[in-house]
Amino acid sequence: MEIELKKDGTHLTAVMHGRIDTSTSTDAERILIPAIEGIDDLVLDFADIEYISSAGLRVLLLVFKQMSAQGKMKIINVNEVVREVLDITGFIDIMNVE
Amino acid sequence: MNLIEANAEAGTLRIYLIGHIDSTNAQQVEQEINEARNAHPECTKMVIDASKLEYISSAGLRVILRLRKVYADLKLVNVSAEVYEIFDMTGFTEMMTVEKAYRVISTEGCEVIGQGANGKVYRIDRDTIVKVYMNPDSLPDIQRERELARHAFVLGIPTAIPYDVVRVGEGYGSVFELLNATSFAKWLAKKPEDLDEIVKESVELLKKIHSTVVKPGEVPDMKKTALKWVTFVKDYLSPEKGEKLVSMVEAVPVDYHMMHGDYHIKNVMLQDGEALLIDMDTLCHGYPVFEFASIFNAYQGFSCADHTNIERFLGITYEQGAEIWNKTLKYYFDDKSDEEIAAIGDRAKLIGYARILRRAYRRPDEENNEVIAFCKKEIENLLERIDSLTWD
Repeated sequence: MEIELKKDGTHLTAVMHGRIDTSTSTDAERILIPAIEGIDDLVLDFADIEYISSAGLRVLLLVFKQMSAQGKMKIINVNEVVREVLDITGFIDIMNVE
Repeated sequence: MNLIEANAEAGTLRIYLIGHIDSTNAQQVEQEINEARNAHPECTKMVIDASKLEYISSAGLRVILRLRKVYADLKLVNVSAEVYEIFDMTGFTEMMTVEKAYRVISTEGCEVIGQGANGKVYRIDRDTIVKVYMNPDSLPDIQRERELARHAFVLGIPTAIPYDVVRVGEGYGSVFELLNATSFAKWLAKKPEDLDEIVKESVELLKKIHSTVVKPGEVPDMKKTALKWVTFVKDYLSPEKGEKLVSMVEAVPVDYHMMHGDYHIKNVMLQDGEALLIDMDTLCHGYPVFEFASIFNAYQGFSCADHTNIERFLGITYEQGAEIWNKTLKYYFDDKSDEEIAAIGDRAKLIGYARILRRAYRRPDEENNEVIAFCKKEIENLLERIDSLTWD
């Protein structure tokens, strides 16, 4: 799992790669949580995300909760497999997913 | 050639739609359905089975609409993904119950990773397991548990992702994310000296659950369940004490904080240092006294007459159970004095024993006489010194 951060003032795009599972979710948390400090517009680009586990979804939920307090967030370029997971878990109903 | 098949069972007429239904044959389909209805006037309900349906046009949809006027709770089942899309786009899914067909999977050659009273758990690939239920009537229970797990998941409770429901042979299965985890029970069996740490971890997760707020109706209200217990038990106590017990439960405020309902070391797993919750079918909401009542029962109450029950159930000794129970209270209420903690423990015990007493009366056998005598005595004693089930 890798994350590229593209920051423009208070806008941040995080391009995520690979699998966000038990072994990589702590890395994702460690990178994303400090990165979104002071950000009011977050875009998570999932084009290259192959798989997300419950541990990954909990990181997503943490980021989402913080962003709800300080701005907006959306997830873009979600593939079919990941969309299915966001759908059955109900994440799609609470988050902005494109 | 018949365009439909029909059979009648227990007052429900089941209609199988077959192949393509469009303007060229919709009229004949409707006629055949009406013939089946006339042949079974005793049926007051209808289910349309779409397992053999490949396509349906607006003319076919209108036939269904007309049937819905006759059968208010008309249901469509076994709908393929393609046909479901048609019902979804046309708004039918919002108007009536439309159930998708379940994916069919085989567990042949899959590794068995667990076995419980209700069925087996298989690993189906790198990331998923399937819990197969042997009872073919388990579908409503499976769906209920999945719905509860889903609520908990979105609210941030650490648990496995419930994927889809599938058909496995004659039964049903529930597909979950594979957790690379060990239960707290196994952890304790392996390292009894870690008991303190195990209790601390489980209290931390318990507090997280209890700080989560649910919406009314999302999960059952535990107070209502507890009221059933004490209302039953009331008649077996002295009138004055019976009344007191019921009115104390009635006085517990409605509380929308989440509770697990069956929290013990077999239902908590450790994965990479993080505690995860499994078995969500008891998820509920309410004032924490009810949660502590079920925790007390798991570690002490259910073994009150036979101290070896806990060994069969949790794989630990009665003494270990007592230590876990006492430490759970101590770590959960770390800002309270020993007297306050003991008083909270007594309130939980009172409800716990009421539940066990009801169970014992409902399953009369030799061994239960001892349980009944024990619980009654405890309840009467506790009622002497408890006036409220809540605390500050």
